Order: sequence, then structure tokens, then C-alpha cells
Amino acid sequence: MTTLALFAMLFAFLILGLPVAIALGLSAILTILFFSNDSLASVVLKLFEALSEHYTLLAIPFFILSSAFLSSGGIARRLIRFAIAVIGHVRGGLAMASVLACMLFAAVSGSSPATVAAIGSIVIVGMVKAGYPEKFAAGVIANAGTLGILIPPSIVMLVYAAATEVSAARMFAAGLLPGLAMGLMLMIAIYVAARIKRLPRQKWAGLGEIADAAWRASGGLLLVVIVMGAIYGGIASPTEAAAISALYAFLVAVLFYRDIGPLKNVAWRQPDEALAAAALRNGVRMVLALAQSGTDSEVRQTVLAGAKTSIMLLFVIANAMLFAHVLTTERIPHGIAEAITSWGLSPWQFLIVVNIVLLIAGNFMEPSAILLIMAPILFPIATQLGIDPIHLGIIMVVNMEIGMITPPVGLNLFVTAGITGRSMTWVMAAALPWLAILLIFLAIVTYVPQLSLFLPELMDQMRGIK
Amino acid sequence: MIPRFLRGVEESLIALLLVAMTLLVTIEVILRYGFSSGLLWIQELTLLLAAYLVLLGAAYGVKKGAHIGMDMAVRRLAPRWRRMAGVLAVLLCLLYCGLFIAGSWDYLAKIKRFGIELEDLPVPQWLAHGVLLVGFGLLVIRFLELLWKIINKRAEGVLIADEAADAVDAVDAVDDVETEGESRKGGPE
Repeated sequence: MTTLALFAMLFAFLILGLPVAIALGLSAILTILFFSNDSLASVVLKLFEALSEHYTLLAIPFFILSSAFLSSGGIARRLIRFAIAVIGHVRGGLAMASVLACMLFAAVSGSSPATVAAIGSIVIVGMVKAGYPEKFAAGVIANAGTLGILIPPSIVMLVYAAATEVSAARMFAAGLLPGLAMGLMLMIAIYVAARIKRLPRQKWAGLGEIADAAWRASGGLLLVVIVMGAIYGGIASPTEAAAISALYAFLVAVLFYRDIGPLKNVAWRQPDEALAAAALRNGVRMVLALAQSGTDSEVRQTVLAGAKTSIMLLFVIANAMLFAHVLTTERIPHGIAEAITSWGLSPWQFLIVVNIVLLIAGNFMEPSAILLIMAPILFPIATQLGIDPIHLGIIMVVNMEIGMITPPVGLNLFVTAGITGRSMTWVMAAALPWLAILLIFLAIVTYVPQLSLFLPELMDQMRGIK
Repeated sequence: MIPRFLRGVEESLIALLLVAMTLLVTIEVILRYGFSSGLLWIQELTLLLAAYLVLLGAAYGVKKGAHIGMDMAVRRLAPRWRRMAGVLAVLLCLLYCGLFIAGSWDYLAKIKRFGIELEDLPVPQWLAHGVLLVGFGLLVIRFLELLWKIINKRAEGVLIADEAADAVDAVDAVDDVETEGESRKGGPE
């Protein structure tokens, strides 16, 4: 009865057009008010705890801030140039380079829509100019953008780690191989499609261009090394790595690339300027710029954009935690777990059920919210059936990826529609053929646990040797 | 309506909170590796600032239409019914705020009576957590403003918030350039 009321209210509020966060929070607090003896004060305490007691979740605003600087600071553009130099000369190469650029950007940002927005806004136009059908270009980007949450760092993985108390660093390690595998699968599919459709190839740009592009993109590429190194090397927690990466992204965008902020259009070296003079001038200007950034309107807008997205997401997460709290106090996960265990499913059958449930849920809700609601339900059953929690987490993440390109709340579809100026229906049709690849990939991830578990186990072994 | 200068304060405060959090965590890392020391209160303060960011920023998010949701069903309604749905949605949001304000009041009164301090910071807990009332209060103001706009046909619902007004408002027009694609619908994953 309580369960029914809780979910009925949630769906009614969602359909009525309430923000996801408030729909979750309101249905939770009303359920407590009507069906439970808990006081309103205890609910408020729970909400405040959700906001202020999860150190892992702090990484989310930092990674979002870092993405904001990376997207506005032209780092995306440099990564794309590098990707095109590397792989553009193959047939369909521009599309493959777009996938590679998405993978690189995914490795510095933790979000899929951010990846689509940063990479897609540049490459879709580029592909159309080079003679690709726009539908093809948009479909590739909407799908490749989902890699944002699979290739670490990943906001969704952080949420899973917070919900299940699995180590976030191990989740990050687990996502790496599947992320590379999916990028590779997309590229192979593009190559096949390009052969059939006779899509163009770019001129081989030469090793010089690769080196030059790599040098210019090094500000972004180095961030991949810093983030991954810090987390996998056990030097910093994901939260600390995220804060450092946000600071680093700011420094690179403002002081070195100078695409935004007080040093915009300030040359590193003016014509006829002596090297020493240029070094001195740059040194002084860079120190000054740090102070000027405090009042610079572009820097401020970038920080605000990051803050706005972070606030929205953390508000959803806090309310989803409240919702999950009501579920647990009503022992709903326990009940569902007992029911499912009583069916006597084998692990592989259970995983089919998991996938179907998540695919359906992914159509209606925000990924972080789904994870917070479903993880407490699925987690105990999975443990009982001997499924590794890390493996379950990766399966859930891949399901959320698919949810991002299926209507009605597929965020990547919205972003792609925003970039191309096309309708949602058009974008959906564009993304559909590539969805098949994601579904095949989901099957692989589900039934080849080694793909997810190899790296985290390797990490454990190496730590053990030390 | 909130006066213009206050709006600047709101935006600056939000930006400042996020920057402060980032710097605090960075300082913690520098202290650990550079000086092999640490400050106990940094983590608590950072987490507290995160709560402040979200609670004070939620109202700002309403104004900017940043909160995501599903508007597919509502959008199919005839304009008249869509407005009705919008009014109902905002009223429910106000109910949400009301319940949380009532709960916050009880909660704060209780911890004030106990006189607890924060774990590492010498601040009374009720004062630090008092931001709950401020945050939900700001939300109420925003939702009332939105309700007024829907009744006057200047907005359609919670999710389809403030775009017409933003376009008129020259100050805000530059705001969303950066996040054009994801400003309304976009969230990070």
C-alpha cells in the first residue's frame, strides 16, 4: 500500500511536469506524513545529511566545474583537431575522430550531455561540411557522447559508489576497459557504414600535424593523465582529484589557452619582442590575471554555469536519497529482494531482469535518481547471487547510457536537438541505428564480467605486492 | 520581485561558494603532500558549503529554469489546460517548500534546545543548519513569482520557466550563451 502510494505520487508529479527533484522529495515527504510515525524534522535532517555527509559526491560539482572550463576554454576544439590528425584519413575518419574526441573528453569530464555539447557543437557542423549526412553525424555524436559516464571520471559512478559504499576509485578502474571497448565498437561500425555509404576520408595530415596537434592539445591530454594518475595511483581520492582538475582546467583555459578571461587575445610573444621581455611580460600578466579573474565576466559566467548544473544535480540526488530512505524504512527493497529470490533465478536470469527494469526506468528518470532508488533494491540480491558489486555498477551505468538516448528524458537527445536545431523526432531517428550497438554492448558487459573486473582486480594485486 | 542588486549578490554568492569549495579541497591536498599536515575542519566546512550551495542555489535554479523534468505530457495539452497544469505544479512545489519549512523549524528548534555544536567547527549546529530556512524561503519567493507569471500568461510551467522574461531582460540575455545546448534540459549526465 505504502509502496503503491509512493510510486503513484512520484509518477503523477513527474507527468504533471514537476522538476524531478521536487517530485522525488514531495512524494517521499507525503508518504512519511501519511504512512509513517517519523517526524517532519527527521525528514529535514535526512535531506541535510544527504547534502552534507557524502564526501564522494563532492566530486560532482568539481568535475562539472572542470567540464565548464574545458568546454568554454577551447580544449574541446584542440582535442578534436588532435583526433582528426590521428584517424581522419581512414574512410569515415571524421566520424571516427569524433568518437575518439568524445572518448578523450569523457576522460576529463564525468558527464554525457557535457560531452555531446562540447564535442558535438563543433564536429557535427564539420562532418556535414565534409559531406557526411547530418543524420549520420548527429546519430554518432548522440551515442558516442554517452561514453561520458562510462569512461572515468563519471558522475553516475560516483553516485553508485555513494549509494552502495563501493570504492569510487575501483568503479573508475572498472569503467576504463568497457569504455575503450565501446568506443572501438562504435568506430568499427562507423567504418563498415562508411564503406557501404561511401563516406569521404580526409587527407593524411602527416606526423608533423599529429605532433603539433598533440602539443597544442597537451593542456587537455595532460589533465587525463593527472586525473587518472592521481586516482589509480592512490595519490588522491576522486574528490580531491576532481577539485584539482577543476583548478587545473581554470588555469589552462585562462592562463595558457587564453580563450576566455582577462588574458583573452593577449599574445604569448609579440612580433620583434625579445624572449626575455616576453617572458617577463607574460609572467606579470599571468599573476595579474589570477586577481583579475575574480571580476572577469566570462570567468564568472563559466563558474555560474557550472554551479547551476551542479546545484540542479545535487538537488536531485539529495531528494532521491530521501526517496530511497523512505523505501528502506518501509523495508521495500527487502520485500522486493525476497520476492525475487523466491523465484529462484540464476544469476544470468537475474541480470536479464535487471537490464529490462533499468532500461524501462531509464526512460522516465534522471540517471542519478534511478541509481539511488534501484541500487539499494538490486544490490543485496546481487550479492546473494554472487554477482560482484562493481560488475553490477558497470551494468547499471551502461543501462543509464542507453537511457540517455531513448525518449522521453534522454538528455543526450535534447542536447543534440539543441545543437543541430532539429526536432526531437528527427534526432531520435538519427540515434536509433546506433542504439543497436549499445544494446549489443550491454549484452557483452553483462555476460563478460571480466571486462569490468580485470582492472580493479589488477589494481588490488599490485597493491598487495607493494 | 527581487531587486536587481540582490540578484547580483545571489549570483556572486553561488559562484563564491563553488570556488571556495574547490580551493578548500585543493588546500587540503597541498597541506597533506607539501607539509604532511592537515586541518580537521576543512572537510566539514567543505561539506557544509556544498549544502549551502545547493540550498541557496535551488531558488536560483528555478529562476534559470535549470531544474530538469519531463514536460512531454504537459506540452501536449491545449494552452488553457497547460496553464492549469502549470498552476497545479507550482502549488505542489509550494506545498513541498511548506512541508520542508515546517520540518526545518521543528528540527532547528530541537537542536537549538540541545545546544549542539558542529563536530570540528566551533559553531552552534542550529545556526549552521539555519540555511535550510533561508533556502526554502527563497524557493517560496521564486515559486510565488512564477505562479504570478503563469497567471499573467508570462510563463507556462515550472520547467518552461523564464525564457520569455529572460529575453526581455537585457542583463540576463548574455547569461546562457555558454550552455546554450544544455541550459534548460541539460544536466550533467
